Amino acid sequence: MPTEPIPSSASAIFAASGLTKEFDDGRVAALQGVDFTISAGEFVALVGPSGSGKTTLLNMLGLLDSPSSGSLKYRGDEMVSLPDPARYRAREVGFIFQSFHLLGTFTVTENVQIPMFGQGLSAKARAARAAELLDAVGLSHRLNHFPVKLSGGERQRAAIARSLANRPGVLLADEPTGNLDSQNAAQVMELLSQLQREHQTTLVLVTHDREVASHASRLLTMRDGRIISDSATP
Amino acid sequence: MTFLTIIFRDLWRRPIRTALTMAGIAIGIAAVIALVGMASGYEKGIVKQLDVIGIDVIVSNMEGGLMPKAFDESLRDQVAALPDAAEVTTVLMQMLSVEDAPMIMVSGREWGGFTWEKLTVIEGRMPLDANERAVVLGTMAAEMLQKKAGDTVQIETEEFSVVGIVDGHSLVENGAIILALPLFQSASGYEGRVNFIDIRVPADAGADRIEALCRKIEDSFAGLRAVRASEVVGTSQGFKIARAMSWSTSILAIIVGIFGVMNTMLMTVFERTHEIGILLALGWKKRMIVGLILAEAAVMGILGGIIGVLLGAATLAILGTLPEVRGLLEPDLSQGLILKAILIAVGVGIASGLYPAWRGSRLSPSVALQG
Repeated sequence: MPTEPIPSSASAIFAASGLTKEFDDGRVAALQGVDFTISAGEFVALVGPSGSGKTTLLNMLGLLDSPSSGSLKYRGDEMVSLPDPARYRAREVGFIFQSFHLLGTFTVTENVQIPMFGQGLSAKARAARAAELLDAVGLSHRLNHFPVKLSGGERQRAAIARSLANRPGVLLADEPTGNLDSQNAAQVMELLSQLQREHQTTLVLVTHDREVASHASRLLTMRDGRIISDSATP
Repeated sequence: MTFLTIIFRDLWRRPIRTALTMAGIAIGIAAVIALVGMASGYEKGIVKQLDVIGIDVIVSNMEGGLMPKAFDESLRDQVAALPDAAEVTTVLMQMLSVEDAPMIMVSGREWGGFTWEKLTVIEGRMPLDANERAVVLGTMAAEMLQKKAGDTVQIETEEFSVVGIVDGHSLVENGAIILALPLFQSASGYEGRVNFIDIRVPADAGADRIEALCRKIEDSFAGLRAVRASEVVGTSQGFKIARAMSWSTSILAIIVGIFGVMNTMLMTVFERTHEIGILLALGWKKRMIVGLILAEAAVMGILGGIIGVLLGAATLAILGTLPEVRGLLEPDLSQGLILKAILIAVGVGIASGLYPAWRGSRLSPSVALQG
């Protein structure tokens, strides 16, 4: 069911209009005119089948990629014109990936500290903040373990702690439970929902799992590079 | 965790490759230390010898290699007649293979000249006169030839009595066979020829008078060069060649090192494309990625350089004991050379990391994350 674009509002954290993304010299159209608005503090699930453009859209929200055409604004500013994309990625958003993307040669606490480099924190402050975050996700007993020694659920919780390293206002999660069993997936989703509620964080989550999507307050359903429905979760 | 922790953790990820890369740098730096240290040692040995003997000006034909070409000894008296040439003596010096010593300095000296003055007899005696078929051996030459006073030594086709062992107070003097000039001229086939005229100037002669004497000699005798003893190392063609050869060989070794590190760092960047993507996604700036890669390359350079200095010092020590080298030079490992070598190693590291760092910083985060 096609939807009307939601008009930009003062509280909009993201506003997209006519967003397209082409790959392979235009032979692949990943996004074909996407319009939406996401308000600050919203928990939005991007759902749809594989290849529908969910991850491409999420990458654009995280400034990991740029649109081929159209407009994508963050707090009213065109994202492609942001003066310091690295600063945006470091301070404004936190990423959570399906395959965790923890660095194998660093311990859990070191992984959490990685995004804090270049942010003007002392080594002591970085360590203290990492310990605090890992405590919040229930991993205070795993600080000095390497990722390979952790279970899938623990790895994702470590990745969530890392995403919160610089206290971002937005969390972008790409299939965060995709590599987890149902029990760990439920725990991770409970944790994400709790963090989102407590800190009023804007959470945009990509999933094709309806159960996971049910935690969100709003569903954006995509197919073939378009948003085909925009609805509140039941 | 500090930035340094990240650097060392990354280098430790593949310890064998890191070690081999550092070994490449270390070998290059060891070559610098060994070759330049040898050349420098040779120069310092000569400088010390000239200082001990008390030579102010050396006249020679600089067209030769390490040893200048011989010229007619009759020029000696003409040089001696010049103002400020207070004492003049001639020498014929050659590097020869003598008995079991593959290379040894043989020095035929004008009898009664001041070049005999500073030799201290520690065993036996000095030759009685210019006609006695006798030599004295520097302490190291005696050790190399395994001779003592009373033995004989064969120089070219002629046999001489070893009448004494002397301390010449410098490595070059102690590594030499010393005999009267006419005897060596005859033995070596250089009758009537010498390759050095050594001059002492009056005690009150200042630098300008010494310089004037040198210019006068060069103007008066075509083909001869007169240089102050303190400048002989800097101006000699032979020393220039030795220095150039040692540095050029070292530079080749360094270039090999550069490509080794560059290869390693490029492989590191390719292997870590995914990791670089993660770092970029987590907000690392491109210049932090550049800094990380350059710092890793520089650390390999520093560590490789330190290992290279130790390796070079060990090589120098071993080379100094070789029969081909002993008595000719004392390998020189100065602080300046060590500092230069370390700086070169760091420079090699950073230069090698520039291109890989640039490649790493150009990665798109989304593409790198898929890598």
